[in-house]
This record gives sequence, structure tokens and C-alpha cells, in this order.
Amino acid sequence: MAQRPAIDVQKWALTLLNNLYEIERKLSVHGDPGNAGRNIEKIKDAMMGEGLFYEDPLGQPFKETRTDLEATISGNNTDDLVVVEVIKPIIRAGQAQFSRVVQKGIVLVQAKVEGGAE
Amino acid sequence: MSKMVNFAIDLGTTNSLIAKFEKGQVEVFKNPNGFRETLPSVVGFRNDRILVGEPARNYMINKDPKSVGSRFKRKMGTTETIKLHSAGGSKTPVELSAFVLKELKNFVHSGEVVDAVVITIPASFDTAQSNATREAGLAAGFRQVILLQEPIAASLAYANKEKSVDLRNSQWMVYDLGGGTFDVALVKITEGELTVVDHEGDNYLGGTDFDALVVERILVPEIDRRGKFTDLLKQMKSEKGKYNKLWYRLVNAAETVKIELSTNTSAEIDLGMLGLQDEDGNQVDSLLTLTRSEFEDVIKDSVDGTVEMMRTILTRNSLRPDDLAFVLMVGGGSYIPFVRKRIEELMGISVNTSIDPTNAIVVGAAYFAGTKEIQTGDDAKKAPTTGRSLKVRAVYNRNTQETEETFNAKIEGDIAGLYYRIVSEDGAFDSGLKALAGRIAEDLPLREGAFNLFQFRIVDSQNNPISTGVDSIQIAQGRYSVVGQMLPEDICLVTDDLANKDTRLRKILAKNGVLPAKPPKVTVEVAQTIVKGSDDEIRIILVEGPSEKHSSTNKPMFILRISGKQINRDLLKGTEIDLDFAMSESRDLTVSAYLNGTGQEFSQVAQVTNRHVDTPLLTSEVVQLEARIQSEADEATSNANHDVAEKLGLLLRQVRGLISECGALASDDVTDDRFKLEDKKRRVAQEVFELTSSKRLDAAKGAYTEAKQEVSSLVQENGNDREKHQLRELLALEQTFINSTNPERIETVIRDLERIRWQILMRLPDFLIGMFNHLLERRATMNDQVQAKQLLESGKRLIANEAWDDLRQVSGRLWELLPDQERESDYLRLYTGIV
Repeated sequence: MAQRPAIDVQKWALTLLNNLYEIERKLSVHGDPGNAGRNIEKIKDAMMGEGLFYEDPLGQPFKETRTDLEATISGNNTDDLVVVEVIKPIIRAGQAQFSRVVQKGIVLVQAKVEGGAE
Repeated sequence: MSKMVNFAIDLGTTNSLIAKFEKGQVEVFKNPNGFRETLPSVVGFRNDRILVGEPARNYMINKDPKSVGSRFKRKMGTTETIKLHSAGGSKTPVELSAFVLKELKNFVHSGEVVDAVVITIPASFDTAQSNATREAGLAAGFRQVILLQEPIAASLAYANKEKSVDLRNSQWMVYDLGGGTFDVALVKITEGELTVVDHEGDNYLGGTDFDALVVERILVPEIDRRGKFTDLLKQMKSEKGKYNKLWYRLVNAAETVKIELSTNTSAEIDLGMLGLQDEDGNQVDSLLTLTRSEFEDVIKDSVDGTVEMMRTILTRNSLRPDDLAFVLMVGGGSYIPFVRKRIEELMGISVNTSIDPTNAIVVGAAYFAGTKEIQTGDDAKKAPTTGRSLKVRAVYNRNTQETEETFNAKIEGDIAGLYYRIVSEDGAFDSGLKALAGRIAEDLPLREGAFNLFQFRIVDSQNNPISTGVDSIQIAQGRYSVVGQMLPEDICLVTDDLANKDTRLRKILAKNGVLPAKPPKVTVEVAQTIVKGSDDEIRIILVEGPSEKHSSTNKPMFILRISGKQINRDLLKGTEIDLDFAMSESRDLTVSAYLNGTGQEFSQVAQVTNRHVDTPLLTSEVVQLEARIQSEADEATSNANHDVAEKLGLLLRQVRGLISECGALASDDVTDDRFKLEDKKRRVAQEVFELTSSKRLDAAKGAYTEAKQEVSSLVQENGNDREKHQLRELLALEQTFINSTNPERIETVIRDLERIRWQILMRLPDFLIGMFNHLLERRATMNDQVQAKQLLESGKRLIANEAWDDLRQVSGRLWELLPDQERESDYLRLYTGIV
């Protein structure tokens, strides 16, 4: 059975999106008095126009069948897991109707019932 | 011609790879779901699923170790079985290895059936271990398995890369520091054959140990110093510890910096995304710097330990370091400069890093596979026949609004020993291997608003596919659903068209789009400065109707006004306004406008079912319409177009009636009179539009032809390569717009042509002089006479010196001194205030 061909995405584009995501997260943690979030949205729109976008899996449920995430489990419980921290977002190539994962998200997951540590 | 084996597998303790030799080249296949060449050698059993590779390693190895098999390579050839909680009993190392080998078959994207393969084994493997590896290969469905020692494979990779190096009568060491294991072997050429003479190793030393050392010895003490913590390391390592998440986070960061430190002398870990706080709730400075020398200090003992093992081999074989030609570095750990440096220092021999440490073994093995013939005799084990056929009846929703759908199938036929697997085409889902039953049900996660494609496969115990007629699952989520509400008309934003003293429409949502919808953000500009506190305003107007028509012909549906009284400082001309739109399924339209100049955001929700008609706006529209009909009628009369003129005359009478009706309407009228009036106005406007559209179209075509001729000759004479290219691109599309019934499309192209024209003209000395002279004549009207005088004097000097670039700038500044009416002689009364 033949498989889908791999999509080659330039490394700079992935670096750009990863850092953009990181800036977005930092602004949400530390506040955004200068409204830089709007500039981020514009860059994201421009990248979307080029067929590349990221997805923030924070808060999404996690199962072992998900292959768009590289997850590390924090805590004992492995049932009902959710993404509690995102180190790198999922990057996809394509359009909204159909896209493919070109970078797996790197995340920390934790069982819902254990509550948030830290 | 005999067929060669060509395929090779590095069945590693921690990671495995597969490669193929073809036409002198080796291709290492990538994991279809992982973008990496490596597959973690881990098999997990969770409920009824079998997971191989990353999902098994990431998800379960630390959490449900009783259901996961890993490092089983070290148990090959023993009678030991691995008890697996969820697998319903025990699995032998051979069975687990077979799962890894079968999974590697999926990496072969060409879809070839792999019949024969070379599998590498460590130098330390005895006969029982080697036979067990061969058995695993046969269990995975390979008809022929050839074994090759890993140090030999690595040496072959080197020999094939450095073809000019003569290795005869020499010996060397292969140093293999992997993710979790270390091996070193002495390799020699005796009687023309590569042989492993001796070897040593540590099953529990590798790159991941280095990561943990960095966290424990460098990062944790540093964070501890920066805030108030009690027993931070314990809190991080304990499952229930307050800082348990930080442990994983730091291990991940340590791996990244380890790689970075191979090329840089220092690296930073930025934990800014976490907002790390100490026990008192104080923010902890989250930028950690790690130098290469700090890193080297913590791994020094481990690295020195590997050198000791090399010394042991030398002593045992009565060799001195200089008897070795080199040390060949293999495995991810050999990327670390300190490892190489330390070996050179302590052993006094050169290290060789010319091959890719990650895939050297599989690459070398593939070269070897390219020289081995496939056996066709009785020796080759017969592959089991997979000629059985199954009937699969699949039931699932092909269109859905849910974010998860269950795929159900009923299977008829002999299902014993078969498995199924569902993998999404976008790389986000893998069900893992599951035993096939008469009925199967699998929950498939769906991406919202997307077309979700899955591959459905049934395979036998050796991963050979069984044909069923059902091989793909296609589910359209959200937007493709037929039950979704569709938009009956385009929804357009009205903006001012300064050049034509009119308005234009910009399509926001297209007709037949399915709701809910969130179109992309639109950025517009303020057409004229709005002074803080004034009554001037901008109007975000949305109308419903064909986007190629005019705002007056379409149904008004929304208006958001932002006046000078609402803004906190002057909104300057040219300031960008970001507009966000969203329409819910029940057609609630939300419009948000963000003013970049003032930092304010205005938002309004409108129910489209409640039509909005603003009386003063309606009056001004009717007055505008009258003026327009009058001018169109005059033009038709002067062109002797009597038929059109007569019809326009009738419309003029109607519109005048509307003006008086509007005048009678109170601004806060509560009856539905204003709706009726609006309706009448729209009908009149529609008729005017239709009567004059051919005229507009002809005018646009005429203007285009004229602009094209003028710009073409200008580009030919004075254009640069870029402008020639721009013009060619525009003209290449001529057929697509010239036959359009939409004059605005043609006008857009004319504007593009004009831009090229100005670009060129602004470089030409004659034009610049002409412009300067024109400004000179208008000197008396300029706002700042002193500055004007200085600039004009300087302009004259620049002409004398032929300094054209500077002249262009001076003219630009002079232009700014002209009063507004000089710049824009017939000033447009703005309708929306945005362009």
C-alpha cells in the first residue's frame, strides 16, 4: 500500500511559527499592554495564506491514538488525559478543509481529576 | 537476472530504522507519522490495541510499564518472557521484535512488498540471540533474513562513503553511543573480510542519561537559587510533587540545549511561557543559560567510563592506541564535541565523524543488502498465502456536525489471526493494530470544518494487507454538511472609492457559504482624519446582495458608526482599522473594528433578520441617487441615447418623490415606513445600475485599452526588468477580466497599470522637471511660504546638478505644502470614511 508523500516544509517557516506561538503564550501569561497580539494575528494570517498554520492543543483531550502530539504524562493517572502544557504547537500545512501535520506538538498531559499542579 | 535483497533494518535497543539500496544509493525511510527516520523499539498493549513506536514510548513507558515491552532486544535468545498486563499474558522478545519489524514495513512508502531483509545485531550477540533475531524476522513475514553485525554495518557505511580510503591491513574501533545504550567494538580486516574481534558495552548509558544529568546538576540548582523552594528536585521528581510538570519540561529543554551545545558554546533555556513562580508566589526569572563547559563537566565521568571500556579492549588484545587507524563514531551521542575530544585526548587517536551517526548502521547494512541475492530455493521459507478475501460492510456518517464519529463495520469471512488499523491521512490519528472481530467500532476524531480522510486496512499476522474493497473512510465535518444553513446572497463591506467619487463593494462572505462562518480579517484605512470630539464619523456598512453590483442596489443589513466623540485621540487619515466578522448559524452577525491608531475596539452584534435602516443615512443616499440619475440622464441625452435618457427621466421623477417622503420621515420614526422607502430606493438604484452598467463597462474597457497602450510603450522605453515582468503578468490575465461583466475588476487592473506608470515616471528627469515647474507655478498658494521658498531654491539647484533622487524628495515635500483643495480639487463627500 503506497503512502502519502512527505511534505517538505522549510525549517525557517517552522522556526518562525514556533516562536510566534511562544510569543503568543508569553503575552497571555505576562500580559499584552501594547496589543502585540494583533500583530501576531496578522503574521498568522499571512502564514495561513501561504498554507501553514499552527494549532494550540492546550486543553485538548489526549488519547494514545493521537499521532499529532508527542506527549509526556505528568502524574500517575492515565485516564481522561488533557494537554496541560504546550512546548511546541502542532503545525499543519494546507488549507482549513484539508491539511496535514508537518510538526507534531510537544506537550505535557495530565489526568483531569488530578487537577493542575504548580 | 537475480534479484538482490536491498532492504536492511537496524533493529536497535532503543530505536530502529529501515533503508533500501537502489541504483547505488541508499534511502532511509521516514516514519509516516513521525517525520523521523527512527522508530522507538517499544511495543505497548492498551485495552485491545497494540501500539508500536512513539505512542507506546511516550504514552505508556513511564506510566503503565506493565503493559509495555521495551529494551527487549537485550533479552533476545533467553527463555525470559515479558509479562504484559494488558496483553493477556506474556510475550517473548521474539514476538515483540516482530511487532517492531512489521511496523517498519509501513515506512516503505513505495508500497513494495519486502520479502527479504538484512537485520543488524550487536557484536555481543551469541548464536541463540542471533537465531532469535532471525526468528523474529521470519515471524514478521520476511521470507529470508540475513544477519549482519552492527560494527561491520557501520564500517561498511564508512567504506562506501570514503571509497578512496584503503582499509586493508588495518583495524579500528566503532564507538556507538546511542539514546540509551553504549557499545564499542574492535573491527579488523582479516583475509579480506571484515571481522569483529572484540567488544564491550553498557546497556544503560546513553543520551537520555545526559539530559537527566543536566537537569539535576545544573538547571535545578540554578532555579533553586532564584526563588524560594523547599526540596525542589524532590518536588519535581515525585509524581505528586508540586513541580512535577517542571521536571518533564526541563528534561525536554535539556535535550534541545544538548543539541544546540554541539554547535554553540552556550545555549539558553527560556521558560517564559510557563510563568514559573516560587513557593511565595514570586515570579522566577525564567531565562537559564547553559555553557558548553558546564555541560561537559556533568557528563565527564560517563564519557571517561566509555574510554575505560576502549582501554579494556586494547589491553585484552595486546594493542596500543596507535595500532588503531581511527575510532568510527556512531549513534546520536557522538554528535557531542566533548565526547570526540575526550576520546582523542585520552586515547591519543583520531576520531572519525564522516558518517551520519544516526543512520550509519542501517545505511551500511543496506549497502550489504544490495550485494546479497534473494534465495529462491527450498531454503527460503514459504510465505503464507494471503489469498483469503473478506467482505466488509462499513456504516458511518459521511457528513457530520460532531467532532467525533464512530466507524462501524461488519466483517464476514475467516477473520482468525487478522488485525485492522485505521490511520488518518493528515497524520493526526492512528488506531494502532487491533484484533479483527465480526463487528468493529472505532471512534474517529474529526477536524472541524474539514474533510477528514482515513486509511482502513486489514492485515494478517505478518502485516500483509488483505483486500476488502473498503480502504478509505471519508467524513466531512461541519461546513460540508447539507443540513447547515446556507447564505442566500453575498455579504459585502461598503468602502469609499475616492477616485470615482463613489463606493465599492468588498465581498466578506460568499453566496452559498455554510453558516456558521468566520471570514478572514479585513484591514481598511481611514479615508479622512477624524478629529477627537468632532461629529465626523466612519461607518462600517455591510450590505447583502451580489458583490459585483453597487451598494445602493443591495440590501443594507448592518451599520457600525464610530464618531469623533467616541475616540480617545485623533484618528489620522491612513490609519488601519482591522475588521473581524463572524456570522452564527442563526445569522447573528458580529462585527468588531479595532482602531490601530487609538488602540480602541468597537464591537456590535446585529441580527440580520432585523433589517436596519437608518433614516438620515437613507435620506443622504436618496439625495445622492438623484444627483447620479441626473448626471447619467444628462450624459445619455448628450450622447443621443434617447431610450436610456427617457427611462432615467422616469426614475428621476420617482426618486424625487422619495426625497420628499424621506423629508417627511422623523429621524426616530417607529413605523415601517422607512423600510418601505428603503425598498423603493433600492429598486430605483437597481434599475439605474442595470441601465448604466454597460456604459460603465464600456468606459472601463476603453480606459483599460488606453492605459495599456500608454504603459506598454513607457515600460518598453524606460522600464526595468521588474516592471517588464509586472506588466507581462498583468497582461497575461487579460482574458480573465476583459470579458468580465464587472467593471470594477477592470478598474483594479487599470490601477495596477497606473502604479507601474508612476513608478517609471518618477525616475524620469523630464517628468520630474515638469512636476517641479508645475509646483513652482503654484508657489503662491502654498501653506508655508518660507519653507516653500527654501525648497524651490534647492530644487532649482538640484535640477542644475541633475540630482534626480533628491529632486523627487523635494517635490514630495512641496506637494505636501499645497492646500488640500489644490491636491484634490474636487473633494469627495465621504460616504463610509474608509477605503
